[in-house]
Amino acid sequence: MSESGGSTGAKLILDVLADEGVGTVFGYPGGAIMPLYDALYGHSIRHILTRHEQAASFAAGGFARATGKVGVCFATSGPGATNLVTGLLDAQMDSIPVVAITGQVRTPLMGTDAFQEADVTSITAAATKRSVCVRDVRDLERTLRAAFRLARGPRPGAVLVDVPQDVLKAPCDRFNRLAPRRRTQPTTKADDAALDATIEALRRARRPVAIVGGGARSAGATHLFREFCALLELPHTATINGLGCADPGDPRFLGMVGMHGWKAANLAVNEADLILAFGMRFDDRVTGRPDRFARGASIVHADVDASEFGKVIAPHVALRGDLRYTLAQLAQRLARMESRPSFDGWAREARAFGGPPPPDRTPLGELSATSVLDRFFAHAPSDAIVSTDVGQHQMWAAQRQRASHPRNFLTSAGLGAMGFGLPAAVGAQFAFPARSVTAIVGDGGFQMSIAELATIARYELPVKILLIDNRRLGMVRQWQELFYERRYSAVDLSDNPDFVAIARGYGIAGESVAGGASLDDAIVRMLASDGPALLHCACYPGENVWPLIPAGTSVAEMMEARPQDEAVPA
Amino acid sequence: MTLALVLHDWRILERIVGLTNRLGCSYRSVEVRPRDDSRYDARIEFAGSPDALRRLDAQLNRLLDDDKEMSR
Repeated sequence: MSESGGSTGAKLILDVLADEGVGTVFGYPGGAIMPLYDALYGHSIRHILTRHEQAASFAAGGFARATGKVGVCFATSGPGATNLVTGLLDAQMDSIPVVAITGQVRTPLMGTDAFQEADVTSITAAATKRSVCVRDVRDLERTLRAAFRLARGPRPGAVLVDVPQDVLKAPCDRFNRLAPRRRTQPTTKADDAALDATIEALRRARRPVAIVGGGARSAGATHLFREFCALLELPHTATINGLGCADPGDPRFLGMVGMHGWKAANLAVNEADLILAFGMRFDDRVTGRPDRFARGASIVHADVDASEFGKVIAPHVALRGDLRYTLAQLAQRLARMESRPSFDGWAREARAFGGPPPPDRTPLGELSATSVLDRFFAHAPSDAIVSTDVGQHQMWAAQRQRASHPRNFLTSAGLGAMGFGLPAAVGAQFAFPARSVTAIVGDGGFQMSIAELATIARYELPVKILLIDNRRLGMVRQWQELFYERRYSAVDLSDNPDFVAIARGYGIAGESVAGGASLDDAIVRMLASDGPALLHCACYPGENVWPLIPAGTSVAEMMEARPQDEAVPA
Repeated sequence: MTLALVLHDWRILERIVGLTNRLGCSYRSVEVRPRDDSRYDARIEFAGSPDALRRLDAQLNRLLDDDKEMSR
C-alpha cells in the first residue's frame, strides 16, 4: 500500500502512476493543472519539462516506442491540452501506448467558455482510443487504471484522462492498491480452422511472401516471426513500422515494402501467390492502389484487431489473435509436417529482383544526403536507437537503417508528423540513458521542435542530432518536381538560420559539413562525443528519394531513379 | 444496417457519429435509452454502401470493446 495521508486527487494520480510503473513523465504546467504539479514537488516520479506540450506528447511516444512501456504526458487545460493532439494521434496511429493527463477548468466553469477552457475530450475523441473527463474524485483511480489497461492493449494506443482542477484538489480516501493489475482483455487465440487453412495455403504456394508490421513488435513476437521465416526459408519484407522485426542480415529479408520501399520487396509482393501479413494494416503507403496490390495472391492476414480484416484488403484467411500464439501455432504445425515446404529458391529469385535503393545523382562537390546516411549507419553502434523526423530523410533512413531490434528505429509512420524526431529522441534517451540515441532530422521538421534543444541541454542528454539540411521542404519539393511540373510552391527554406550557432546558443556542440571529405570524421566525432551534439549537413537540395511508387498507383508505375539523360535540378 | 448496442458510457455516441460520417454512412434512426444498470441501450439504423457499413460495423465493435474495457 502506498502512503498518501491527506490525499487529494492530484496525489492519487501520482500514486496510481507510480503503481503502474511510471517513473518519468513529460509535460508542461499551467493554471488548471497546478495542483498536480504541486503534488509532483518532491515526488519520486520524475517530471521532464519540455518546451512545448506537443514535444511532451512526442517524447512520451518516443519513450513508449523505445521501451514498450506506457509513455505519460501532462498538460494544462485549453491550449496545453490541444497542443498534445498531434502526439496523441501519432501514438494512436502507430499503436503506441501513451496516457495523457490534462488539467481542466473547475467543474462549475465547464461549458462557460472559461479562461483556457477546451472540450478536450471531444477534441481528442478521434485521436485516441478513449478520452474521458473525471468529474468525481471517486472515479479517478478506476479511470486511471482503465486508461493504462486500454493503452497497453492488446492493441496499444493513446488514452487521455482530463481532470478538472477541483477534482485534482478534492480530498480523497487513502490510496489502496487495487488487486493485481488486470490485463486489458484475455489473450485472443486464432482459431484452429484458420491456422490449418494457412498451412494448407503454404502447402499450395509457390511464391509466398511474408510482410511484418508494427503489430509483431507490440506483441513481442519478433523472434517468432523470424523463426517462422527461417523454418520455411521464406522471403519476407517489413512495413516501416515493422523495421527491426525482421533480421536485416537475413538473406531472405527483402527490405522495406511500400512507396519508397526496396524494389525487391515490392516486386516480390507483386509476384507473390500468397501474402502472409503479420501485424500490419495494409496502409495506402504499402498497397498503393488496393485493387492492384498483389493481384495474384491469396491473403492471410494475422492481427489482434479484427477491425483490420478487410478494412483495405479482404483476406482469404483471417487469423485473429495474439501474434505470439498465431506464429507459435503455425510453427508447431509446420514442425509436424512430414514434408515441410521450403521457399529458398523463390527467396533467392526475389532477392535478385533488386538491390539496395539507389542514391540520386548529385552535382560534383555537393553533399549527398544519402551518402551522409550511408556513412552514419556505417558508424553508428549496432544497438543505436535512431529517431527520424518526417520527409525525405525519413525515407532515406528507413531504406538504409540496419536495426536488428524492433524498438531501435523510431519514426512517425502512420501520421507522418513533422517535429517528431527530436522530442522522440529525448523520450528514448530518458528511457536508455547509456544508449546511443540519434535524431535524424530535416531542416523543416527540426525547426518545428527546435526549442527541445533546451530540454536536451537542461537534462544534459547525450542526444545526437544529424541534421539533413537541404534548405527545402524536400519531399514536397520532390513531388512538385515530379508531379506538379516543377512549380515549386512554398518549399524554399534557403534562408535557414545558422543551426550550429543556435545549438551553441543552447550550450550544445555543433559542427557543419558541406563537402564529402570530412564527412566520416565529423560523424565519428559526433557519435563519440560525451554530451549532446549537432552535425549539420548542408546537402544538395535537388536530391530525390528513389524508388518511388506514386500515390494511388501500383508497383507497375514504380519510378526507380532519375533518368540518366535528365539534368539534376538546380 | 441496424445495430443494437450496449453503451457503458453514452458519450461514445459522439465517436459513433464521427465514425459514421467519416466512413460515408448516415443514420435513419437513433434511439438511446438508459438501462437500470447505468448502461445504455442504443438502437441505431445506419445507411450506406455495404462495404462502408461492413467497415463501420468492425470499427464500432472495436469502439465498444474499448468502451467496455474503460468501464471495467
